[in-house]
Amino acid sequence: MTLAVDSVRTELAALVGQSHVLADPAACAALAVDGKVPDCAVSPSTAEQVAAVLRYASEHHLALIPRGKGSKLSTGNPPRRYDVALPLGELNRVIHFEPADLTITVEAGMTFGDFQALAGRNGLWLPLDPRGGAESSLGGIIAANAAGPLRQGFGGPRDMVLGLKIATPEGKIAKTGGRVVKNVAGYDLGKLLTGSFGTLGVIVEASLKLFPKPPERATFTLRAGTLGIARDLRRSIRRSPLEPLRLVLLDSPATALLSDSVQVHERPGAELWIEVGGSHRVIERCAYELRQLASAAGVPLTRLDGAEEAWERVSNLALWLQQKYRDVTVLKAALPEVASEEFVSRAQQEAEAERIALASFAQVGVGIVHLCALQQALSASVLGLVVRLRQAAAELGGTLVIEHCQVDLKSQVDVWGAGGDDLDAMLKIKSAWDPKEVLAPGRFLGGI
Amino acid sequence: MKSKGLFRELARIVGEDGILWRREDLMLYEYDALSSLRQPDVVTFPRTTEHVVQIAKLALRENLPLVARGAGTGLSGGSVATEGGILLVFSRMKQILEIDLENQRARVQPGVVNLDLSLAVADEGYYYAPDPSSQKACTIGGNVAENSGGPHTLAYGVTTNHVLALEVVLPDGEVIHTGARHWDRPGYDLTGVFVGSEGTLGIVTEVTVRLSRKPEAVKTLLAIYDKVVDATRTVAAITARGITPAALEMMDGFCLRAVEEATHAGYPMDCAAVLLIEVEGLKEAVEEHADEIEAVCRDNQAREVRRAKSAEERDLLWKGRKGAFGALGRITPNFYVQDGVIPRTRLPEMLDFIGTVEKKYGLHIGNIFHAGDGNLHPLILYDERNREQTACVVQAAKDIIMRCVEMGGSITGEHGVGLEKSDLMPLIFSEDDLELMSRIKNLFNPLGRLNPGKLLPTGKMCGELRGGLVGGGPV
Repeated sequence: MTLAVDSVRTELAALVGQSHVLADPAACAALAVDGKVPDCAVSPSTAEQVAAVLRYASEHHLALIPRGKGSKLSTGNPPRRYDVALPLGELNRVIHFEPADLTITVEAGMTFGDFQALAGRNGLWLPLDPRGGAESSLGGIIAANAAGPLRQGFGGPRDMVLGLKIATPEGKIAKTGGRVVKNVAGYDLGKLLTGSFGTLGVIVEASLKLFPKPPERATFTLRAGTLGIARDLRRSIRRSPLEPLRLVLLDSPATALLSDSVQVHERPGAELWIEVGGSHRVIERCAYELRQLASAAGVPLTRLDGAEEAWERVSNLALWLQQKYRDVTVLKAALPEVASEEFVSRAQQEAEAERIALASFAQVGVGIVHLCALQQALSASVLGLVVRLRQAAAELGGTLVIEHCQVDLKSQVDVWGAGGDDLDAMLKIKSAWDPKEVLAPGRFLGGI
Repeated sequence: MKSKGLFRELARIVGEDGILWRREDLMLYEYDALSSLRQPDVVTFPRTTEHVVQIAKLALRENLPLVARGAGTGLSGGSVATEGGILLVFSRMKQILEIDLENQRARVQPGVVNLDLSLAVADEGYYYAPDPSSQKACTIGGNVAENSGGPHTLAYGVTTNHVLALEVVLPDGEVIHTGARHWDRPGYDLTGVFVGSEGTLGIVTEVTVRLSRKPEAVKTLLAIYDKVVDATRTVAAITARGITPAALEMMDGFCLRAVEEATHAGYPMDCAAVLLIEVEGLKEAVEEHADEIEAVCRDNQAREVRRAKSAEERDLLWKGRKGAFGALGRITPNFYVQDGVIPRTRLPEMLDFIGTVEKKYGLHIGNIFHAGDGNLHPLILYDERNREQTACVVQAAKDIIMRCVEMGGSITGEHGVGLEKSDLMPLIFSEDDLELMSRIKNLFNPLGRLNPGKLLPTGKMCGELRGGLVGGGPV
């Protein structure tokens, strides 16, 4: 901040009200991103206030990082500048909700938990199980395009956003898309904002498509034992009439972690977790199909009761594992789905060579593999692991992103990896929309 | 700008048989399914991405407009060369480059016909989900440009939900690759921006799509009503039950009779409306949903609910639905079809309103549309030789679109903005909204040579429908 910090705070207070500007050092420290502490935090309570704050920041060359609950802010490179934190939790109103239309418009700071409760009272839901869970904000989920294992059955936020209202870095309010389920009017800028990690605009309102909640859901585990059998089972499941809602392969350490009772060093073997949904009769039919598959493969099948807590852990790996291990590194590989098991196997080998305890949670039906390095390891060995696994992912036709890690690792490796021949176009979009680099400068791919 | 020298240069790129420039040949390319008469200066048929690159560079040097065209089935004038220039017709880039069933992906050239892709993987139990009514003719490239929908997009989403990666030639000849065959490639979702950009940001030369697994079971129901309002009420009642059919289509009696006379699909001739409803999935789920839907239809005064007893019966019902626009072509010299969207709960009052408009202007308006999505397709019948009537059509269409906007809807659900509705954009977008879109356009297409006059308002006739209301072809 080049201006006197005090005068900035005073002027921001004039925009949002004194009680909405926090300057207390402890409060600011809690809003640090990658170790960078902002000078103050501004909590706007309307979209217009968000725009006013952005206009002010743009005029005074301040850098802002918008945040919902902060559950996904560990993903990104360290910000080049960070003057003001912009928590959006006060934007939590319902703008429009007509259950029979299966559409809803809410402000972006609303928590996912509140949102699901509201939808749930009408027999509906947004079928997402994003990182951060009930505590995360809808705006954050959209900004990170955060999809969990439910992507198998329903797709991700990208497929559910109908329209967005944003505050632009220059302080204007603009909207894209609309409120109806089908709409091709104009460029689909909602796609650009979804997954842009707050670098193009601040999402202040979202219109979303809702889905009827399945009457029942059930989780089954197939104790595959080896990755090879797990791969064959995945193939059989994908070729069967089953329509899983979630399908996750846990390698041996992941199985141990999730079942809690076993030590990490023991080898319970790989498991496939599969969730299905529908009426009682449909679930019975799925159970029958799975029994056939299991017996053909010669593996045990178990129906799990109360699997929801375990699923929440799988969606929230970093949050959950941090309760046990101090340093957790979470890597996310995105691959052609058939390469999932092969990648897990490569990861196991690399981790063993580096003596790093690694657990793999692989959404094998969509090719998303999360790797969690558990113990406090020398950062040099984690770095080596990241570099080699990024190479392995590339060889298998995929990419690897560091979703969560200690800050010192970020000074040695780009969390996103390299861009492709479309990076130049991305850089141009950033400079066309945010020429003064107001929003989260330096956090995204290619230094965006 | 028409010069023998230019034609020679183009012929060197694509071969002598790869260009058309005689007036009588160009006439075939002066319209699409919207019908707007403007000839390109020259038509080219590239066969490779490299051809497109070279043509783009030539167009840049000569400062000529560059317009891409698939099969010309578009309903918003998206492929009409409004300012002449070079038309790139993709009918010779129609190879399916790769099919990867285990990953459920296909990589195709833009000229591949939509239905051909589904047929290529049908025996293995897969298909490509977006199914525009013109799917026998329309191309994947055109679908990408317009972000096309279709009856089954109710459950499965439109084109953008099934496209993962693109190869794009930018107007200066640079080739970029957006997205990836896997999910979550880091960076901005440029694929999502190019899909639906109506050929105004780049020329797509390769498309990677997601293939879907065919469901185990399908049931097709035909609910027959004596009153339109009962049919429209049924729509929201079905979703209120927590059922998402794969498709939920409505046809009013007027369209139905035209369709039946043309296709003999077995539709009743004496009713006010039908709903064509399809449910898909595991056979247990399909049976339960079909029973529930039937009950909802009867609760809403359906006179009769039939179920297709065989695949042939089902195909016949769909043949009628998908051939509807063509069938109407038999009974009217011209028709104009709109594509507004409203929240599905507002369908009963909207259909009432369309009836009022019909009377107000003394026109015939048929309704055949994607009821489950609230995506209307009012078909306004007219005779272009009757100038007074043609003027009424424009006014009636505007009344209907304004009503969609008032209901919180959109001016287009799947046909695209194109030439037809670019000046209606201010009805739903503010100056700031449009300015943000302009920045994207200026960045990729700074000289405005790529498909000029489409998507964004031209500012010439604010709030007016544009494009010649002439013709109106079958789709």
